[in-house]
Amino acid sequence: MDKINSLRKDIVDMVYYSSEGHLPSALGIIDLIYILYKKILRFDPKNLSWDARDYFILSKGHGCPALYAVLADVGFFNKEELKTFCKFDSMFGGHPDRNKVPGVEASTGSLGHGLPIGLGIATAMKILKKPNKVFVIIGDGESNEGTIWESAQVARNLLLDNLLVIVDKNKSQAYSLDYDYKKIWTSFGWEAEEMDGHNHEEIERKVKAMMGIKTAKPKVIIANTVKGKGIGIMENNPEWHHKSPDEETYKKILEELK
Amino acid sequence: MRKEFVRLMLEMGGKEERLVILAGDISVFGLREFRKNYPERFYNIGICEQSMMSMASGMALAGLIPVVHSIAPFVTERCFEQIKDDFCYQGVGGNIVSVGSAFDYSGLGCTHHTYSDIAILRSLPNTEVVYPSSPKELEVLFKQSFDNGKLTYFRLPERKHTQQIDESIIKFGRGVVIKDGIDITIVVSGPQVDNAAKASATLKKDGIDAEIIYIHTIKPMDKELIIESARKTGKVLTVEEASIRGGLGDEVSMVLGELGNIEMYRMGVGDKFITDYGKYDDLCRSSGLNEEEIANKIRSIVANE
Repeated sequence: MDKINSLRKDIVDMVYYSSEGHLPSALGIIDLIYILYKKILRFDPKNLSWDARDYFILSKGHGCPALYAVLADVGFFNKEELKTFCKFDSMFGGHPDRNKVPGVEASTGSLGHGLPIGLGIATAMKILKKPNKVFVIIGDGESNEGTIWESAQVARNLLLDNLLVIVDKNKSQAYSLDYDYKKIWTSFGWEAEEMDGHNHEEIERKVKAMMGIKTAKPKVIIANTVKGKGIGIMENNPEWHHKSPDEETYKKILEELK
Repeated sequence: MRKEFVRLMLEMGGKEERLVILAGDISVFGLREFRKNYPERFYNIGICEQSMMSMASGMALAGLIPVVHSIAPFVTERCFEQIKDDFCYQGVGGNIVSVGSAFDYSGLGCTHHTYSDIAILRSLPNTEVVYPSSPKELEVLFKQSFDNGKLTYFRLPERKHTQQIDESIIKFGRGVVIKDGIDITIVVSGPQVDNAAKASATLKKDGIDAEIIYIHTIKPMDKELIIESARKTGKVLTVEEASIRGGLGDEVSMVLGELGNIEMYRMGVGDKFITDYGKYDDLCRSSGLNEEEIANKIRSIVANE
């Protein structure tokens, strides 16, 4: 099993054993989060309040099984602990809690909060004259929320060039039109780019390129993703949005991930 | 009170480097000196209170002390969920300073009133609700609480009260005995303390001796003071420029409810919108918040003994 399939299995296990969690949402962003932590972000699992760390916020908090799997993989806690997902006294809930999970910078869940929180942190870094970067993943469904577009204006006004937003465009939101988000964010005055949200080489290259651009503008990359990526029956299948597999399906999934 | 807020921010900006102001497109002119002196710590975020509140929590997460400032309904009710999730649930501290609470913007109508700000803010864990109604109270209470790790809501009324309260007894979380009495306790917040004092002077002539407790900190409430007075008088009337559902009256009732044998009465804004216009005093009168109505209410309570 390759690394990304191993992380996918961690995600599936969390949801299978707890019958909780948003499985396809997590599968759709696992590549993005994995590359951010492996190739981009500065962090130290042994020093959570490290002054020089970058901040990552999962604004679409329901994708958190992916975040938990990666945080375990990079050493914030033992992978075994993921088995407690959504149990009564677990630190891992269906949305991430910064006061429980080492490495989680902001508690999210209600959509449209994580991005403006990220703006606040990015502004604070400017005030404190620190070079730390802020990375936020939002969803295209989440982009229904007005605070996303409030933030789009405010971040541009404040010239938050230390902020990179990744839009997880999985096109699953039931009532959303297929917006040209690159054009929209560009019209808000952001530096905008597009990428395949599952191509590791492209994710790393484009994120690094964006962060390297000398501009005062905040930056956004539209990541074209497939909700449920990596598991055939779930890919782009809305039935699975908040559902856990039965035993037979679970066994088939494990076969697929081998 | 807004002038004192402006003065206080200028003073505190110099003393506390972590203090950052986020304004919702108000007081920008008033705060120009702060902005001039500390340009990197003043942000006119614009007319987007929800994002402004979340941003403030992000600043707090990064170690700063935000002061979020706008008109009361917009900086409490409109962004209630941001206050709940991003400050209270996350367990980070900060400050909200509102102007234009209750019906201070009397002529602007109900969209610019709030009678429920106290109720909703006090309902959340990790909050404090402060209602300073003199410049000195604002200064003292802000300095005592602005960096204590809680989300502290300062409700600044347009009208100041005129009571002479010695600075040494202005303490966060502590009530102030304006006048001793034995027949009934008036627990009052905000500028209505002046009407309570006038009513009490009138009642004295009728042989009714009312005790007046002035509350500038609604949460945490000064339980001991309230209980001690209620045990003495057996009757408590709360008076406030806020909804009687969930405001000061509710907080006092929570304290006294378990004692038994205490009569509880409330004056404030009832279960309605105040759709009239006019001046502040007009709306006080139409809400029964003046000297005469308070005196009448107390006469009827005492007469029913």
